[in-house]
Amino acid sequence: MNVLEVKEIKKSFGSKKVLDGVSFSVPDNCIFGFIGRNGAGKTTTMRAILGLLKTDGGEINVCGERARYGCTPKSGCIGYLPDVPEFYGYMNAHEYLKLCGEISGMGSSELKTRISELLELVGLDKEKHRIKGYSRGMKQRLGIAQAMINRPKLLICDEPTSALDPVGRKDILDIISAAKEQTSVVFSTHILSDVERICSCVAFLEGGKTAFSGSLEEIRAVRGNTALELTIVEPNDIERISSAFPDGRVNDGKFILPQASEKDCADLMAFLSAQMIPIARLERREADLEDLFMEVIGK
Amino acid sequence: MKGFKVLLKKEICEIIRNKRLMILMAIFVLVGIMNPTIAKLTPKLYELMSEDFAEQGITVSAVKVTAMDSWSQFVKNVPTVLIVLLIMFSGIYTTEYSKGTLIPLLTKGLSRSSVVLSKLAVMLLVWSIGICLCFEITYFYSDFYWDNSVVSKLFFAAFCWWLFGVFMISCIVFFSSFAGSGIQVMLGTGAVYFSMTLIGMYNKAKEYLPVRITDSVSLYKGEYEPKDYFGAVIVTAMLSFVFVLVSLPITHKRQI
Amino acid sequence: MNENIKEYLPLLIPLIIAQFSLLGYTIYHILKHDNYKRGNRVLWLVVAIIGMQFIGPIIYFIFGKEDE
Repeated sequence: MNVLEVKEIKKSFGSKKVLDGVSFSVPDNCIFGFIGRNGAGKTTTMRAILGLLKTDGGEINVCGERARYGCTPKSGCIGYLPDVPEFYGYMNAHEYLKLCGEISGMGSSELKTRISELLELVGLDKEKHRIKGYSRGMKQRLGIAQAMINRPKLLICDEPTSALDPVGRKDILDIISAAKEQTSVVFSTHILSDVERICSCVAFLEGGKTAFSGSLEEIRAVRGNTALELTIVEPNDIERISSAFPDGRVNDGKFILPQASEKDCADLMAFLSAQMIPIARLERREADLEDLFMEVIGK
Repeated sequence: MKGFKVLLKKEICEIIRNKRLMILMAIFVLVGIMNPTIAKLTPKLYELMSEDFAEQGITVSAVKVTAMDSWSQFVKNVPTVLIVLLIMFSGIYTTEYSKGTLIPLLTKGLSRSSVVLSKLAVMLLVWSIGICLCFEITYFYSDFYWDNSVVSKLFFAAFCWWLFGVFMISCIVFFSSFAGSGIQVMLGTGAVYFSMTLIGMYNKAKEYLPVRITDSVSLYKGEYEPKDYFGAVIVTAMLSFVFVLVSLPITHKRQI
Repeated sequence: MNENIKEYLPLLIPLIIAQFSLLGYTIYHILKHDNYKRGNRVLWLVVAIIGMQFIGPIIYFIFGKEDE
């Protein structure tokens, strides 16, 4: 069953079309990477899912229930971490989580255990100061804790790692991975290594549309998994290779043969030795998200 | 309803910790003491100045201070305190909307009406407690030094001031439902006040305008009776109610 | 004159206590915080002290105190 289904949603701000038919679905217990450039419409999509933004068309189903503007879909279903979470600086983490829990209607004894559990998960259990003194990373961690307080079926994180240093990023990714046990996670980002590290499904957003969506395995299957990258000594030789292997392309003085089979590799090596072309390096490379991303955005 | 209670607790915690409550209460208490003090000191001031006046050929007859002077100070100073209160609370909604502190709470199923009403409740609470404190202190001292019985309709006049404050607070609620910043809210609230004053100058409608109920001195002196104010009292109460009621759907549609 | 002063005491004592505690607290608050919405520490100390006893502290808390 899918915890979230987004179908063909559209949104324009004035004459600018931000979303032009975004569709994807998130299965249960999966970490879903929502990838797109800055300004691609990631935040807009997320706000639409949360009912904080009126869409111009399309349908959003959360936990099997239609989401509408102005009403949060079935309370307790979604937890949200905004891109720059803002809290009440005059409270401490414990008080803030208590406020959040009370709003979602949790009983006081359940809330008490849940708060200490979450504070330990996000590593703020020893923090007694008020939130106004928190660093960016601490706010982000508190943000995850507040989003998970009522055990939502879906956790939506808007660029949780983008503004953090490497240590902070690792912490957040670890917390999100741990959260997978309890909930599905959608997180938007433009940092591809983060996606490769923890996501099992991804969607690419480009030009207001979902350019691609599926699991990481599907992507690898579609893309074929290897490319050959050849660096030669004499730049002049590159044209001879290109004409012999029309599937390849030249990039930055290197010759790249995408989706190369074992035979392609042997052919290329045979060609090189037959033509006596000196090479500096020949490498088999796994197709990574970056290749796909570049292809999707057309660069 | 559950959300309202939780949020009201949060709002009270907020005004205590950001010191707004303490400052406002200090002002209410100070003004409460100042009213009789100024009245009490007036003859002393005249005495000090009388020599200067005498040089200029003006003779000052001895001034007799009564409770009336203390209460006219009350009427003079309460607007100032109300303005301070309005300035302090002008951003109570808009800062939350623009900073996004409400988003985590709204996505947990908190209704926007609870947000509007809990903040309204805390403002009304502060205003009610404050004006009571101020009134009681002035009342106590005026009775201590003079005699309050020379001033008529004290309680009704104080009620009118309270109601006028409620009306101004409902203006804040109304303008906050669509304004972008506390300054805009302040300007809107100010505009309401000035347009009322203007209409009152040129029109027979004066009797029904909320500003009418701030004319306490006429009540004190017995020139007017409470029944002359009933029209304005009802209009003020209705307007306040309508302002708050209208702000609910507008806030609901607001982009947060 | 002495009799006169006695007559004013019930007013003056609470007034002075209230004003000085407000002023004292304001100065404490200014010294304890490093950041203000606008202006700097010296400015706000001057405003609080010479601002006619209680108007100065009010101005500081409305316009100077940092939002949390």
